[in-house]
This record gives sequence, structure tokens and C-alpha cells, in this order.
Amino acid sequence: MAILVRFDRVSVAAGDRTILRNLSFEIGEGEKAVFRGKSGSGKSTVLKTLLGVYPVAEGRVYFAGRPLDREAVAAIRALAAYIGQEPVLGADTVRQALLLPFTFKAHRGKTPSSGKLAETLSRLGLAPSILDQDCNRVSGGEKQRIAVARAQLLGKRLYLLDEVTSALDPESKRAVLDFFADPALTVLSVAHDPDWIARCDTVFELEDGRLAGAA
Amino acid sequence: MDTVDISQTRMVLLYGIAVLPWLLLWAGGLRLSHDLWLSILRMSVQLALVGLYLKYLFAINAPALNALWIAVMLVVADFTILRRAGLRVRHFFLSTLAAIAAGTLFSVAYLLFLVIRPEPLYDARYLVPLAGMILGNCLQGNVIGLERFYCAIRKNENEYLTYLLLGATRREAVRPYFREALKASVSPTLASMATLGLVSLPGMMTGQILGGSEPWVAVKYQIAIMLCIFASMSLASVLNLALSLSVAFNDFDVLRGEIFRQR
Repeated sequence: MAILVRFDRVSVAAGDRTILRNLSFEIGEGEKAVFRGKSGSGKSTVLKTLLGVYPVAEGRVYFAGRPLDREAVAAIRALAAYIGQEPVLGADTVRQALLLPFTFKAHRGKTPSSGKLAETLSRLGLAPSILDQDCNRVSGGEKQRIAVARAQLLGKRLYLLDEVTSALDPESKRAVLDFFADPALTVLSVAHDPDWIARCDTVFELEDGRLAGAA
Repeated sequence: MDTVDISQTRMVLLYGIAVLPWLLLWAGGLRLSHDLWLSILRMSVQLALVGLYLKYLFAINAPALNALWIAVMLVVADFTILRRAGLRVRHFFLSTLAAIAAGTLFSVAYLLFLVIRPEPLYDARYLVPLAGMILGNCLQGNVIGLERFYCAIRKNENEYLTYLLLGATRREAVRPYFREALKASVSPTLASMATLGLVSLPGMMTGQILGGSEPWVAVKYQIAIMLCIFASMSLASVLNLALSLSVAFNDFDVLRGEIFRQR
């Protein structure tokens, strides 16, 4: 299994506060990894550091073997989807939200058909009738699945997930867990949900920005 | 018609008008004494100095001196815009200066060279007050535009990041905030234009009428200045936001935290 993401003694600071301290770990292609720890332990910072949001104060982050530079960040963003607890849909209706990326120059001319939209939604346990619903009227759990569906339409293979099952009912959670079981998808997640953690290959414990354990 | 001058004694009486609102604000729990009196003092000193300076500026009426005065106004406006927008001057000094200079000079040149055509074209009596009025309004619009734009991106970090991850370029990802900031920037001028004459008599027109101009001439100047204010503010705001993009983000298209002033 080729190494996709590597943190090598990484420290990240915001102002006077050190959020990550000397953090080292590796994630292979297709691996499902989860970070857990108390609130404020730096879990979400790990995800955002990989996306280039927080500058690395010490150490190095590698993506597919190359250090995190402008090109590497562009490559990560092309491959990755970040889905938080309250995902941003950025449109009025669910259909518009799913088609939003195809209004950007990078994906113009690749707009998926309505059939493809419906098929993608159904894989995540969502009925096609949701397509014309107002985004403000869909639940938190539906938003998370719509965001996953959108990422799938873009062919994303690296998923950075922040408590992605937090708002799901058991049936929807099962659909999401099954979706991410796909061996082609690499997952780096933050979660407290035992069902999610049980499905992950690697569990990292974070404590005050430090790696306290891995299993 | 001569304008009635205000004597020094009556000027003292004039300052008394600020006492009542100050007392009301104080009674309402707003401790604004320091800011209020400092603002009044600054306004008075600044205007007195300007009055003194303009007297000589109009008498000398040299193009280089007029240009220097406008350059000073632009630099002061630049500092004021960035401070009030909560942004660091050292990052945005040049982009904001270029934007407000382009916006103001375009409108002033249009007005003087094509519409009013004074003799000479650089006549300080026209150039300086018109540039000052246009720049003053440009300043307000740019403060609102910059402040809204960068606060919105900072506040909606996840949203902005989502757009980038969905394939948006930096320019595509900031577009929603750009649109909102521009709208906020020009809306006060649009609202003001729509109600001018109904709700308020504009300062420039009132001043001209008090100064002895025919109301119809004053109206024409007021229309000219409002159109120029709108044009310069729109141009300066668009340019300011667009030029600032290259300094406000890092190589990873992430908004740099150090661009914000510590409040």
C-alpha cells in the first residue's frame, strides 16, 4: 500500500498557541484512519493542515511522497473532499448544490445528467425527490450526505471527514459507512462515533496536540 | 448676493448644539465623551487648516501645487480606509492607493475636461473641492467594501475552503463575498441618490445656494457630483478588492491572518 499522506514531526501554531506538537503518522492509499481525542486536542487541525490552511511551523507534511508546496496542495485539493459537521452546500436547492462545482472553470462542460445525480444520491440513502428541495430545509444529516454525493460526482478519492456521522440516523449511517468501505477511497477522519471508529483501519489518539497512541 | 458670515461669538454658540446629544448619549449609558469631543476638535482644527491652506492654494493656483494637494488627500484617505477597515496599511497601501487614485482621478478628469471645462482646466477652485468630495465618498464605500469582504472570508473559512476543494480558483471562490462587499459598498450611494432632494438637501447644493449661486446651477452641479461619486466609488471599490487579492492570500490561496489589524 503506497503512502499517500505523511506527517513528519509536524508542529502547528496559531498565534501564541501550539495546536499540534511533533506529530508523526502515515496513511496509505485506501486506508481508513480516524483521529479521536478531547475537544481542542487538535484533531480538526490535522485535516486543515493537510489542506494547507494552517502553516507548518516545524516538521514536514508529505503528500504522495512530495513535500507540501503549492503544487502538492493543488493536487490534494483536486483529490480531496472536506466534509465537516455542518457542510457548506453553497446554493439554494440541492440540485444547484450538486451542480455548483460544474460552474467552476475546472469542471465546466462535465455536468452530470439528472439520472447520474439521482443514482449518486440513492447510494447514500437519499431519494431523488430531494433534488428540488431548498437547502435550508434539509437536515444536518442530509446535508452531510449531499456533500458526500457531490464529492463523489467529482470523483474525489481522499475524504477528510469531521464527525461525518454525527447527525445521522442508524439507517443513513449504515449507507454512509458502506459507501466509505470502498477500498478505492482513502479516509482521514475525526470522530467520536464508536460505529465509525470500528470501521477504521487505524485509530490515532490525540492529546493536547500530541499523538498519545495508535491502534 | 453676499453670504451672511458667522461671527466668532456665534461660532461658540454653534458648538453648544453638541452638548444636548452628548448628554443624551451619556444618560443612555454610552461613554463617548472622549471620542465625541476629540472628533469635534479634530474636525474644527482640520477644517480651519484647510480653510487657511485653500485660501493660498486658490490664490497661487499652480498645477504642481494642486496635484500635490490631491496626492496628500489620496495618501491620507488610503491610511484612513485601511485603518477603518481593520486592515494593516503595510500590506494594502499600494493597492488601495492605486484604486482610489484611479477612481477619483477618472471622475475628476471626466468632470473637469468634458463637462465643466473651467479656465484653466486645473483651476484649484474647481479641482480641489470636487476631488475632495468625490474622494470623501469614495473613502466610505471602500471602507465598507474592504471590511465586509475580508471579514466575510475570515468568518466563512469552511465555506471558502469548500469552494476551493470543489475546484474553484481563488477568484471563483471569493466571488460570493466580492459580490456582497460591492453591493454593501455602493448601496448607500444608490439609496442617497434615490432620495436626494426628497429626504435631504445635499451639502454641496446647499453650500452653493448659501454662497449665492442660482438654485438651478447648484442642482446641475449636484447631479454632476452624485454621478461622479457613484462612478468613482464603484470603480475604486472593484479595483481595490481585485488588487488586494494578490496580497491578502498566501501561496495556498489561504487568507493571511497577519493582514488584519489587532483591535
